[in-house]
Amino acid sequence: MGGKITKIFNILITGALMCLIMVSVGTVLVRGLPLVVAQMREPELIFSLKLSLFTSLVSTAMCLLVAVPVAYTLSRYRLPGQGIIASIIRIPLTMPPIVSGVCLLLFFGTTVFGEALSRIGMNFIFTVPGIIIAQFFVNVPSLITVLKAAMENIDVRLEYVARTLGCNSLEAFLRVDLPLMRKNIVAGLILTWGKAIGEFGAVLMVAGATRFRTEILPTSIYLNMATGDMNAVMASTSILIMIGIISLVAFELLAGENWERTRAL
Amino acid sequence: MRYRSGEGFLRLCSLNKKLGNFELRNISLNLERAEYFVVLGPSGAGKTLLLEIIAGLQRVDSGETWLGENNITLWPPEKRLFGFMYQDCALFPHLNVKDNITFSLKVRRTHPRIIKKELDEVVDLLGISHLLERYPATLSGGEKQRVALARALVMKPQVLLLDEPLSALDVPAREALRKELKHLHKLTGMLMIHVTHDFTEAMSLADRVAVIVDGALVQVGYPDEIFNRPQSRAVADFVGAQNIFQSKVIIRNGKKFVLFRGSQLAVETDLEGTVNFSFRPEDVVLSSSRQPVNCLQGVVDSVARHGLFTRVVVEVEGTEIVALFALNGGSEYPFCPGKPIFCVIPPKVINVFPCETDCSEHSSAYHL
Repeated sequence: MGGKITKIFNILITGALMCLIMVSVGTVLVRGLPLVVAQMREPELIFSLKLSLFTSLVSTAMCLLVAVPVAYTLSRYRLPGQGIIASIIRIPLTMPPIVSGVCLLLFFGTTVFGEALSRIGMNFIFTVPGIIIAQFFVNVPSLITVLKAAMENIDVRLEYVARTLGCNSLEAFLRVDLPLMRKNIVAGLILTWGKAIGEFGAVLMVAGATRFRTEILPTSIYLNMATGDMNAVMASTSILIMIGIISLVAFELLAGENWERTRAL
Repeated sequence: MRYRSGEGFLRLCSLNKKLGNFELRNISLNLERAEYFVVLGPSGAGKTLLLEIIAGLQRVDSGETWLGENNITLWPPEKRLFGFMYQDCALFPHLNVKDNITFSLKVRRTHPRIIKKELDEVVDLLGISHLLERYPATLSGGEKQRVALARALVMKPQVLLLDEPLSALDVPAREALRKELKHLHKLTGMLMIHVTHDFTEAMSLADRVAVIVDGALVQVGYPDEIFNRPQSRAVADFVGAQNIFQSKVIIRNGKKFVLFRGSQLAVETDLEGTVNFSFRPEDVVLSSSRQPVNCLQGVVDSVARHGLFTRVVVEVEGTEIVALFALNGGSEYPFCPGKPIFCVIPPKVINVFPCETDCSEHSSAYHL
């Protein structure tokens, strides 16, 4: 009987949480979705949507380019202090994004290195590249974690066999590891992109919130909320929610495929 | 350690490799072009590491590897192109059998017509043409082994490295693949290096055997030598000699004897001083009457079925001697515990080998 009561309690708690999320998200969607079509004629929303898509895609691509070799290093090599290296790389995961943004702002704005970059035209403070760097900095550790776990699940002897069959180490990675972790990569990219397009705290610190300049969707929500333009807020919010839901569905579909394959084995 | 004289096709010269707490020490071998060479050793002895070093997958800390006239010590695996087959096959799970087998040919951008020809040849040879569209996850252990063999053979390697290829198979599949390996070796004439912990597998397949224990080669020789004439206690123990003792060699009337408790056993050896000696349980003859040579009187301690054999333990002056007999149509053996019996050990089956540690000066024999 005690078990039955516990079960009912657990299910009720789960149902209550689900209702809270559905109602709060649904409230925005019900009010916001009808406004999206109308707001899509507004140059500000179009600008912020385009900039959000551009910066999130670029930062996600950068995350992939960096995460693959880093994950390979952490999963395949035996380096002195490997555990410490892995922990340092995970630090941004443990910090609030706004703190990451402050770190980047001080790094690019106040250090000799940042000033040197600025002098050669690579200015990240209050610029679009700053948005990309902020998204990259906040998201790359999670993609590294996903890819590292995937690589650790691949038997290193498969690479060894590929080497004895004529592949150099890069070919062995491309022909064996990469196909085996393809789904993990796609799932990781979807999550990374979904997080990048919604990143606000770090972006606000590094790139600021300037209309028609560094205005991505989350910034647009912040600016329009400040000025009381609720229609614009609801439209931007609805777009971000839809992007999040689509990312989640795509991720779950891929994760499901992986599970099915594992079960069949 | 004994080597065949002359230059081998593949030569390992004083290889050393430290990996974590484990160390492979001073490995030297001369391997001939067409021999079936078995590296025999217990789990954790460094067999797989040695194979990986030969394949170029692990760099040595010191020492050299030569293939014919070439020093290949620094050659990467893709340049050596030695076939490698792991115990669990390590088939690529994302590729079907056909793509697994043709992997090396595609890497080398071989013409599709030649790929097809080579594929047909190797699948016919191994009888796996019906498996080509299947994925590794759907194959049985024996089928996986054949596919892995085909994948290694299709690139016509000069050396084929086999890491415990029979260990994961059931008895019928193991027998079938053992015959197949022997047949393939005769057919291809390539150097095959096979590592295993199973000495019966080594005896049935090998032209020569090396025994590796704790990262060091302790004996290299022909299967009969390893089996019947182990040169160290570790090898004798590993190949199942079971009766291993220590004694001083005494010479009387020009003949040599070792002492077993109060008895003397005639032996054929060049060694003198304190030695180890061993004899296989299969070579012990049990008799109900005293025999003229090398006969020890004892009492049957226990009799037990041991697979297809009967294992009899005889206590001779407080020391156990193990004898092994093939079962014979359910006939009764007159060996029941407590019964007096004579153990006869012919001089030619007693293997005398040097004592590795500081041996006692006392002449009395004792069980190790």
